[in-house]
Amino acid sequence: MAQNRRKHFFINKPLQIRFMLAVIVPLLLINVIALAGLYFGIWSKVLDTFSNEQTLNDLVTASRMVEYDQARHPVPSQNFSSLSFFMQTEKLSQRQREIFKGILDETNQSLLWKFLLLLFFLAWGTIFISHKIAGPFFRFSKAFNEIEKGDYRARVFLRKLDEGHPVAQEFNEAMEKTDHLLSNLKTLAQEKDAPQAVAKIKEKLSTVQTSANV
Amino acid sequence: MFKRLICFLLVLSLAFSLSPIPLSAFEPSPEDRALLNKIEKDTFQYFTRFSDKITGLTKDSSRPGSPSSVATTGFALAAYAIGGSHGWIAQDYAYARILTTLQTLRRKAAHQNGVFYHFLDARTGNRVWGSEASSIDTALAVAGALLAARYYPGTEIEKLANEIYERVNWKWLMNGSDFICMGWTPEGKFLPYYWDSYNELMILVALAIGSPTFPVPPGAWERWLRPEGDHNGHKIIYASTGSLFTYQFSHAYIDFRKLDDRGVNFFENSREATLANREYSMSFSGQHKGYSESSWGLSASLGPGGYKAYGGKPGGGLQDGTLAPYAALSSIVFTPEFSIQSARFFYDSYPKELYGNFGFKDAFNLDKQWWANEYLGIDQGITLLMLENYLNGEIVWKKFMELPAIKKWIELTGLKQRSASITTN
Repeated sequence: MAQNRRKHFFINKPLQIRFMLAVIVPLLLINVIALAGLYFGIWSKVLDTFSNEQTLNDLVTASRMVEYDQARHPVPSQNFSSLSFFMQTEKLSQRQREIFKGILDETNQSLLWKFLLLLFFLAWGTIFISHKIAGPFFRFSKAFNEIEKGDYRARVFLRKLDEGHPVAQEFNEAMEKTDHLLSNLKTLAQEKDAPQAVAKIKEKLSTVQTSANV
Repeated sequence: MFKRLICFLLVLSLAFSLSPIPLSAFEPSPEDRALLNKIEKDTFQYFTRFSDKITGLTKDSSRPGSPSSVATTGFALAAYAIGGSHGWIAQDYAYARILTTLQTLRRKAAHQNGVFYHFLDARTGNRVWGSEASSIDTALAVAGALLAARYYPGTEIEKLANEIYERVNWKWLMNGSDFICMGWTPEGKFLPYYWDSYNELMILVALAIGSPTFPVPPGAWERWLRPEGDHNGHKIIYASTGSLFTYQFSHAYIDFRKLDDRGVNFFENSREATLANREYSMSFSGQHKGYSESSWGLSASLGPGGYKAYGGKPGGGLQDGTLAPYAALSSIVFTPEFSIQSARFFYDSYPKELYGNFGFKDAFNLDKQWWANEYLGIDQGITLLMLENYLNGEIVWKKFMELPAIKKWIELTGLKQRSASITTN
């Protein structure tokens, strides 16, 4: 177990930092937009309405005017609404509830649009980021398939913004060497002086490590 | 000698039958009477504290930002007269306050054909909050003005009060119908609601019929609906909300004890309604902490969910644990023992939460631990007038019943004077 324990948090520092930034920045952005939306969408309305004493008095008076009318001409009570989630509204008057419901519905609507916009950007960002990883995987997979079929000319060419450029470079270098070795072997195999060719092949293969080191 | 004795006995029996009928055999203890006097005096202070010093218009509520209400201003006129008569304020001051208020109502307060707008700017007298020119609120204002005039006969006060009354075009308020419309706005003209069924309308219709200038036909009294209902054996002509105030407002000014309206006595009706209201709330005592034998009073008031027309049965029967102390107390002329018991209970049980500088606050709800932090002008007004009638020789009734308009209303509607004694409790 102890052997498997990671000893270094940063195996590939630039890659990990880039990924951290790729995750943190959108999340931060989302949080900032969401918090700003919440703050300005809800609190600015609530604060605007209630921070001013005159406004508060006017609101209560307006509520009272309506309540007086409703007491004289009763109207049916309201059914389930967005306010039903808030226990605090129990102590509010009918008119105050109507006003709060208006504010809440308006805020909800505004937040819904912001949420949909965020969802769109999030989806777009996720596709963009995942594409930078999935793209190289696909190209590597394609290269391995070609190698499996015996085509050692396969190379991995990544887009500029794709992740894994160093790996692709190392892979291509390795394939270059392998391709070169196999090309030499094939050339030697075609020489007419067989014993000399075999000796050269053996010399070439002497540095190659395989499962069957005979 | 025998003839003289017979004559003497006849005169005595006649005098007895026409003398004021005692409210009740129940006599409050000196402690209770002292408490009631204190409540009345404290309640009176609302009107001096919340009336504009320049115009005299009185705020609808003690809450900051509240506009003035013309009905509350009417109660204030009555309150100043009562306060002056008791010496709670100097007579000169009372006279000056009433005069200022009447001058405002006569010259500055917004009105339509003499019908005042429900809510006015206390400083300017302008219409506020898009309120309607209200028939019932105008009637309550006029009633207060006419009562004040009876305290200061032959003065400028009487002249102005009569002018304000005579300016009201009650006939116009009928809008060509059989009933008086509830109100009118410049925007929508007549409201689609009429005073067509029993509630606090009696004072309005009485003043409208008794008007010397724009009287409505006496038929306006007969036509309004008198729905009959029953709760716990209390048979009542009831108001749709079942709110206690509907059984009280007209009785603040008009003494219905001796008036027989085709077999119905509305004083007795209000007493039965009060008893039914009390028993209705008691039937929910298992569900609501606040309800008990001593703690009752379902009437339109503030509540945890705003101002609502709470009430008993028969009627709407809306209740949620909220009680209005003013409602129980303002039934004192109908049910003195129960009303005093509840006043004592409220005062002793919740002195800090429910009682303040201006008497009882409007309402409370023990289930939700909710206490109104304000006083409503009209609820203060009805409390004051009912206490004054109960504690001080029915003085408001006596003065108001002498008004020519009231005599005219009684005469034209054929209300019969009855001499049967009315007892309560």
